[in-house]
This record gives sequence, structure tokens and C-alpha cells, in this order.
Amino acid sequence: MRFSEILNLVKLNLIQNKFKVLLTSIGIIVGATTIVIVIAVGRGGKADVAEQFRNLNAGALDISYEQAQGSGGFSFGGSRPSSVGSSSGSRPDFSGSFSMPGGGEMPSFSGSRSGGSSSGGSGEKSSRGSGFFSGFGSMFGGIFGGGSDTKNTERITLSADDMEDITSYVPGLSDATISYTVKQNIYGGNIEETESYTVAGTLSNYAELSNLTMLFGDYLTDADNENKTKVCVLGYSTAKQIFGSAEDAYDSLVYIDDRPYTVGGVLAEQGSVEAGISADEAIFIPYATGIKYLTGSEISPTITVIAADVDNIEAVRENVKTVLAASYPNAEFTISDAGSKMEAANKSNETLTLMLIAMASIVFIIGGISIMNVLFVSVKERTEEIGILKAIGGSRRDILLEFIMEACFISLIGGIIGVMLSFVINPVLSGFSIRTEMSVSGAVLALAFSIVTGTVFGFYPAWKASKLVPVEALSSE
Amino acid sequence: MGTEQVISMKQVCKSYQMGAEKLNVLKSIDFTVNKGEFTAILGPSGSGKSTLMNIIGCMDTMDSGSYQLNSIPIHEAKEKELTKIRNQEIGFIFQNYHLIPTYTVMQNIIMPLLMRGEDRKTAEKECGEVISMLGLSERLRHKPSELSGGQRQRVAIARALCSKPSLLLADEPTGALDQNSGTEVLKLFTKLHEMGNTIVMITHDMNVAKWAQRTVRIVDGEMFEGN
Repeated sequence: MRFSEILNLVKLNLIQNKFKVLLTSIGIIVGATTIVIVIAVGRGGKADVAEQFRNLNAGALDISYEQAQGSGGFSFGGSRPSSVGSSSGSRPDFSGSFSMPGGGEMPSFSGSRSGGSSSGGSGEKSSRGSGFFSGFGSMFGGIFGGGSDTKNTERITLSADDMEDITSYVPGLSDATISYTVKQNIYGGNIEETESYTVAGTLSNYAELSNLTMLFGDYLTDADNENKTKVCVLGYSTAKQIFGSAEDAYDSLVYIDDRPYTVGGVLAEQGSVEAGISADEAIFIPYATGIKYLTGSEISPTITVIAADVDNIEAVRENVKTVLAASYPNAEFTISDAGSKMEAANKSNETLTLMLIAMASIVFIIGGISIMNVLFVSVKERTEEIGILKAIGGSRRDILLEFIMEACFISLIGGIIGVMLSFVINPVLSGFSIRTEMSVSGAVLALAFSIVTGTVFGFYPAWKASKLVPVEALSSE
Repeated sequence: MGTEQVISMKQVCKSYQMGAEKLNVLKSIDFTVNKGEFTAILGPSGSGKSTLMNIIGCMDTMDSGSYQLNSIPIHEAKEKELTKIRNQEIGFIFQNYHLIPTYTVMQNIIMPLLMRGEDRKTAEKECGEVISMLGLSERLRHKPSELSGGQRQRVAIARALCSKPSLLLADEPTGALDQNSGTEVLKLFTKLHEMGNTIVMITHDMNVAKWAQRTVRIVDGEMFEGN
């Protein structure tokens, strides 16, 4: 029998049993929909991760400090010790592989410094050779904080001086910056009542390190920071919320904590971010301006350093730890790198996708079993028909092909409906803030899976049908 | 009439195992049918006539003996050859018509030709003459369920004739029909016989067998010539 005629017979049988075909293919419909959606969610997740990490430099390391809970209130030696003059300790050599001097020797830092931003009310230390105050701080932290761990009991505020230490002694860095965020009440523009916004104190190089692009005006300058100028740069969304548009925001005044700041620039839209400051939603002011007018010492800054060579990031991390340990022996700093975050996010996304694909495969198997079941029933119901076809010269191949093709087409129809359904479901998922990216490859894969499922699970019933003895099949009724 | 043999069976035996007991259904059957003959095989229920028909129709195998259909040794033929022989040499007409209910009349009629590898249009063209001879031209788009018993049997006859077989094999062709329809079908058989077709008709009814040119009787698996 010609293949085209077999297809005609298949078409005829499917048309005659539309409802049965639809019911049979439900498993495949669900499977195909799941596959397309799973792939779309996977791709969406991947794109999401890429977008969220877009403004993070792969070589960036964020250094922050978190005080252990319960160790707050009463501590000494919290602020960064200021080295004054030269120390008797030998300076570590960072030119090659980083190594800290052993014993009680601490690295000394030339030049006098101001105490930086002090916190915890401990004031400046004249020397840190003995670690006396730090020791006290730890002790009191342990006693009054009730903690048993001696680490992170002090209140420490990272400062520009710490950043300078790092940039001075850690080799292989291309740049570094320091920033902090605080919530502040804002008014101005179209805002009638004060609203709370994230205000970020940053240095002039923050924009470059975070890949921020300007829509209007310029980013903050070193002069702004040095002069503690009341100038700000608005994130795109913030500008729109306060002034209605980015254009209107530029060169206007915005009041932060009742003080007027000139909007010196508006950022282009950056999108959502996984780590760091969400630029669209923030207001950027000079680092020193914020400390002077807004926060005082009550900040938890993050130092961001950029490794010149991404492959060298682990060495940089260790060196940063060592430098900070020299200043704060009882503190452990959180050092996270964007690459690891991105990798972790991608891995978790891939794991989720794999799990969903496994789930879709199970749905397909169930769908296939359903097809096999229905085909077995169909073979039983149509035993007489098979007998007739064999009696009038239908070969095993004809019968086998007819039933396999029926299974294939049931699956294909299910697959097509499933793919179409996924396009209907997709906007619904978007409504639930699930990012999806539909793809042709997803649809093709779903259809391929459908056909393979139909063929595999349809084969056995078809083979059984083809093996029927005509005389027995004819007398089956 | 020529003397060319269409069917030549020698010492054909067939038995079935019924539990521990062996049931001999056909006992050393010798049976020949010449080309152009209209033969009736007459026998009561359980005599073995249906088994014989299945063997003649290449739908069942024999235990021993030899069977040649148009000089083709059926007893030596493999499944694939038997399929081809059923399609090209034999036209089946069943008591219960055995039409495919989901197909139209036309689709049922042309099915043997499609099985042979012909395309639909050619097959429909080839069947045109038979369809009009059997008066089915107006019913081609109908389903079997929309036809009377007589009409269904005519569709079955048309399907059997379309492939221009060397043997028309009818199993109780009037068994499911009322008397008038049955008579009509038998008249049609006579006409087909007159046209030169070789017909073997199996029946338990003496009155039906009378329509045939020749009658053989089968009783308890043994065959006897004459009424």
C-alpha cells in the first residue's frame, strides 16, 4: 500500500474519532506545554541573570563587614586604627605572592591619616602594634554581647583609608571604590509628601566600575567629594517618579533630609540588578557629602576592588583578607565576587531547568503510556477491521505503519496543541513576574519529543495489530 | 468452460487441539474447482466448511496435504506471499459483509486495489464498471451503516470483484439477508458465473446451494460430491 494512502486512512480514522484523539493526546499536550514553558523559563532565567549582573564587573570583589548579632552596644577598638608615623613592625612585601609577617608584626602604613569615619565611639588609636584596644573591644564584645565567638564582635566601619590600604598593598588591582547606602526622606519635583528613597554615597569612579551610563549631565566628580558639594545623580526610575521625566529632573533641586541638592545628572535605565545598588531606584551623592550631612559615622560601607585579571581573583581575595586582618585582627569580612554570584545564579538556574525538564519528561512518559493504552483498546476495538484489511491483502507493514502513524499523528496533534497552549500560558506567567523567553528551538524540541513519544509508545500496540491472524481477527466479534 | 483448475486440494487435513483432545476438522480432503465453475460447499454447522473456506482463502494453514491455487503451491507459501495471493487471486464475500464501518462505500470497494499499491484515482476509475453494474453509483459516499443488508452485501461483492480475482469465495453470502435480498444476491452470483467468474460458495442451506452449478457436501470433515 502506498504511504500516501496509509496517511489518508490515518487521517480518516483521526477525523472520525476527534474526541478520542483529543483525550488521548492530553498527556502529550501537557508534556509539550511543559517543555516549551520550561525552556522559556530557563532562557528567561538565564537572560535575567545576565541582565541583573550586567552592571557588575566580573573581576569585582565586594568587601563588607557585618557585626555579629548581640555583640553591638559596648565595644572598643571599633574604628579603623589610624597608623601614625612609622611603626616598628616590618612592612609586608606585596610585590610577589602576598605574605603577611608572622608573629606580632603588623604591616605599617606610611604617612599620617585622619581617623577616617569613626564608629562605635572609640576614637582614634595611636598605635596598633599591640592590638590592645582591639583586644579590649573583643573582650567587652564577648562579655556584653553574650557571644562566645571572638570574631566580629567589634563595631567596624570600613573607610576610604582601608580602601587605600588595600589598593596600596594588594597587587593586581585595576581600581577600587567605596560606597554605602542609606534610606532618606526625599521631596521635590512632583512629590507632595516626603518619600523614602535609597541614597548612595559614592566616589567619582563608581559609575565607571558599575558600568553606569548617563542619560543627562555628568556623574559625581572628585571635586564634589572633596568639597562635600550638595549635588546628586538620579537613577532613571527615581527621576521619573520625582520629576515625571529624566529631562525635567536634570538641573532641578531635590531635597534630601531637608537639604537642597542639585541634580547634576540622570542615569540611563540600567535594569534590575542581582547585587550592589539598584541604580534605577537610587539617588547618588558624593561619599563625603553623605557622611557630612546625612549619616555621620552610622554607615556600613562596601569597598569594591577590581582585579585586573579575573583569573587572579582568588589571590586578590586572600590578599585583601590579609591586609584587613592586619588592621582588624578580630574581624572577618564578607568578600564576595560578582563572578561567583553569577556562576551560582546560573548554576541554580540550570538545576531548576533540569528539574523542570525531568518533570516534563515524566509527563511525556505518562502521556506515552496513555497513548499506548488507548491504542491497545483501539486495536482491540478494531480487530475486525484489521482482520478485514488482512483478508483483502493488507500486509503486516501496512497495518504496522497505519497504527504507528496514528500514534504519531495523535502525538503530533497533542504537541501542536501543547505548543500553542504554551503561547497562551506565557503571558499569564509574565503576569506572575516570571520571566520567560519563548523560542523556536523549544517548540521544535516539544514537537520532536511528542513524535518520539508517540512512535515509541505506539509501536508495541501497532506491532501486536500487525501480528493478528486474519481468520482469528475476523471471528473476534 | 475450460478445464483449467483454479483449486486443487489433495489430502488436506486440519485439526485443532481442544484441551487434551485433538479435534480433526478436515479429514484428508480432495477437492478441485475448475475455472469458471460455480460450486457450493454444503454442510451443517460444525462440519468443517468454514475451516475449509479459510484454507481455500489462504487465511488459515493446513496440517498436511497440498493445495494449489492457480498452480501456486499455497502449502509452501510464506505469510508475505499469502497476503499477496489474498489480494490478487481471491475475492472474499462474507456472511456479515465485513465492511469497515468508518469508511464510505467507495473507500471500502477500492481498498483491495489500494492494498495492491494503486493510487486512489486509478482505483476509483477501475471500479467504476463494477459499481454501476451492482447499482451502487448513488451510494458511494454513504457509510455501510446507512445501507440495507442487501446493499451492504452488494458493496462486499463489488469489493471482491474490483480486484478481478481468479476466485470468488463466498461464505454464507445470504445468511444475514432476508429472502428477497438473498435471492437478489444469488441472481447476481449466477450473473457473475455467466460472466466467467469462478465462484465457491459455502452454505448450510440446500436451497441456496441449488443456485450453484455444482454442489459438494462436507460432513464431519469429509467431503462428498453431489447433494
